[in-house]
Amino acid sequence: MSALQVTAQGTTGALRGRWTFLVGRLLEYVTVLFVALTLNFLLPRALPGGPLKLFGSPEALARLTAEERAQIATEYGFGDPLHVQFFEYLRSVVTLDLGTSLSDGREVTDAIADALPWTLLLVGTSIILTTLIGIMLGVLGGLRRREGKGTGTLIGAIVIDSIPQFWLAMLMIVWFGVKWQLAPTFGATGPDGVTVPGVLQHLVLPVATLTITGIGYIFMYTRSSMLGVLTSEPVQHAHARGIPRGRLVRRHVLRPALLPVHTLIMLDIGFLAAGAIVVETVFAYPGLGRLTFGAIAARDYPLMQGTFLVLTLMVVLMNLVADLTYPLIDPRARAGGAS
Amino acid sequence: MQILSKKLAVSSTAVLALVLSACGGGGTPSSPPDRSAEGPETAETLTIAIASDEGTLTPFTNQTGYPGNNLVKMIFDPLAIVQGDEVIGLLAEEIQTEDNQTFTLPLRSGVTWHDGQEFTADDVVFSVDFYRENAEGDSAIDVSAIEEVSADGNTVTMVLDAPDPEFPRMILADMAIIPRHLWEGVTKVSEAGTELAVGTGPYMLAKYDNARGYTLEANTDYALGEPKVDTLEIAIIPEESTQFAALRTGEIDMSTRIVPPQQLEALQEQQDIGIVEGTEYASTLLLFNNGQPPFDQPEVRLALTKAIDTQDLVDTALLSSGTPGSPGFIHPKSAMAAGNTAPMYDVAAANAELDALGAEPGPDDVRVLDGEPMSYELLVQSTSTDRLRSAELIREMLSEVGVEVKVTSMDSDSLDAKVWPDYDVAQGRNYDMSMWGWSAPVMLSSGLIAQLLYSEPAEGPLNVAGYSDPDTDKALDALTSEATLDGRIDAAADLQANIAEQAPWVTLYYRNGAYAYRSDTYGGWTWQDGKSALHSFSFVDYDL
Repeated sequence: MSALQVTAQGTTGALRGRWTFLVGRLLEYVTVLFVALTLNFLLPRALPGGPLKLFGSPEALARLTAEERAQIATEYGFGDPLHVQFFEYLRSVVTLDLGTSLSDGREVTDAIADALPWTLLLVGTSIILTTLIGIMLGVLGGLRRREGKGTGTLIGAIVIDSIPQFWLAMLMIVWFGVKWQLAPTFGATGPDGVTVPGVLQHLVLPVATLTITGIGYIFMYTRSSMLGVLTSEPVQHAHARGIPRGRLVRRHVLRPALLPVHTLIMLDIGFLAAGAIVVETVFAYPGLGRLTFGAIAARDYPLMQGTFLVLTLMVVLMNLVADLTYPLIDPRARAGGAS
Repeated sequence: MQILSKKLAVSSTAVLALVLSACGGGGTPSSPPDRSAEGPETAETLTIAIASDEGTLTPFTNQTGYPGNNLVKMIFDPLAIVQGDEVIGLLAEEIQTEDNQTFTLPLRSGVTWHDGQEFTADDVVFSVDFYRENAEGDSAIDVSAIEEVSADGNTVTMVLDAPDPEFPRMILADMAIIPRHLWEGVTKVSEAGTELAVGTGPYMLAKYDNARGYTLEANTDYALGEPKVDTLEIAIIPEESTQFAALRTGEIDMSTRIVPPQQLEALQEQQDIGIVEGTEYASTLLLFNNGQPPFDQPEVRLALTKAIDTQDLVDTALLSSGTPGSPGFIHPKSAMAAGNTAPMYDVAAANAELDALGAEPGPDDVRVLDGEPMSYELLVQSTSTDRLRSAELIREMLSEVGVEVKVTSMDSDSLDAKVWPDYDVAQGRNYDMSMWGWSAPVMLSSGLIAQLLYSEPAEGPLNVAGYSDPDTDKALDALTSEATLDGRIDAAADLQANIAEQAPWVTLYYRNGAYAYRSDTYGGWTWQDGKSALHSFSFVDYDL
């Protein structure tokens, strides 16, 4: 067998392995998605109460006859047998016709399309800031730990990480909104509608809240990862070979140290909609988190299913992106075919 | 025919006038609108914060009674309006009746819908028929009592199935009239869009964003008075604390959230912030599950009622911002409140009555009645600070008479599912005791009070306590069949005596209403008992 044949066989085998890996991953994602969709369908119906309360005051609903109740439930789709509702739900997901909100009669897709950009702006900005600040502090913290310093920063990060988002948001409003009047306390736009200065001003306090409460997590993760890499054998050998510290950190430490942080950030992005529920509610910010909160409070099944679907897709999608981009930054994953 | 004049003379006596005020649907006053606010008389733009989306602001799509129904009524005028102690014509020029069964309503001329179309008698007839077919919606009106409705020129006649002296207040002043030319093709009212939020009222819906709120513009063609504020921005701010913070900074001009007693003083002390306050008529109750032992015995319920110091609850849980509950349920400020409404608190009597029932002290000082320890679960909404505090105080108070209470807090939906599953009392109930509350309209309508107590679910759809007593049913029959207001006063007195004897629940207190506003931007806020300050009297000088 010639060397050429061996190489060709090796290439074919590698390609086959790559396809097997991709198909396997795809099947995993389809399975995860189906389970998530099933939960998205069941969870709203497992909550106490139901959407009937959207159809009148309690006193008015109390007067409804059994026939009138059944008629409303049938007309709006929550009176059918569970399996019928489930298949209707799956159909709506496949066709992307998510139905109509029971609360205000809007198309669910329209409601999500209105809210999503605000959440992307809010959480996207805070994730960028959280990532930059968290990684920078984490790297510095890891390097300083090697020098026996940085305990104060670590304690500070632990404290920050344990601050409840709601509490910090209220402090932000009281200090920066009411006391010093540096930023608006609620909403996403000023009286003039959507203007760049208005949007930026209204972004300050919610972004600051999300960023501060998110930094501790990334800092500690990065710091821990840095310490692991700094004490690894290859880095110790490089250090022993006399490679300058700056070059050592840039070339041999940062990349492997940030690999797990990359996955973490991808997952964070996936959870961005859910993560903003508290902040969007406190600051009356018109994003997906608040839409989800309102849908849950109202037991608006179609809207709940729609917002849960977006959340699910984001998590799955960002997992996929993490899987696909991991080999780009980790050569071992490229060689092995799996991360 | 007895003509009650342009203003409906409810009665020649002030007492009768007060009775009507006590019997209205949708929240009604018992005193003239109280101009208790200070500040400028007019404003260009006011921002008012509400807690949640109220849909498209049609009578079928608002989500809450307050503030949703109040906002709907600023867009859609009813036929009559409650002003002070009187029900006066609004879209109807006058209300004529001689038997409280046939009502003749000549309509005002020159009134137009927001889209410029003329308002006619045909719209009124259509509205009644439409409500008859479409009962869904928070502001939808139960018009089943109207047997016939007809139009003759510009006059509408309504004939009821039985005389009802509360009809002008309960229906005429609460039924938002809708335009036939826009609504006659509508089949799914819960999906009614903003294009249908077209009324004859003082404000027009100009903009709606379900995440941010509404813009209401003054109806400059309003024939019945002049709106004093050009634009009302209604901002949705879910968090109570954020609303008050925005009020302090001047980003909003009024909060529709009731100011918690513990924050009242701090807000009052702040410059440029005023408080408009008064009677709300909402009630807070301690429910007993009358359908299960030992609460099926009136003697047990009565003994426990005597162990609860309602004055202490008001002083401690409400910081005195409320009124102790009447044993007869009806608010003491209401004209229907009868005789002795003093609380029944008497621990010695409670102990003696439990002793007499054979409830002997058992292990851990908990009494044993009929072989069972007197230990019960008390449900309370986790989101209500005053109810949580009250539940803890009740636990301590009942422990003084040897009754153990385990307080369980839960979200409102979970609690509703146990106390009032699917809002259908025929489905039964699953609790021992529960904190509960009814809004102002329930307190102010004899028809709704009857629905709290009737034994049969069909007649008592609000009977969440599962109370059943033939004598009370007779007292309710007497109340609701009275054709005159005088008769209803007497019947209401008998009913309250009956409630006090039977103690189907403990009426704990009536919380006061207090709302904060910016006194540097607008001072036209007008308090109406049971309706707070967000209603058209705060924005319009009516010329009726």
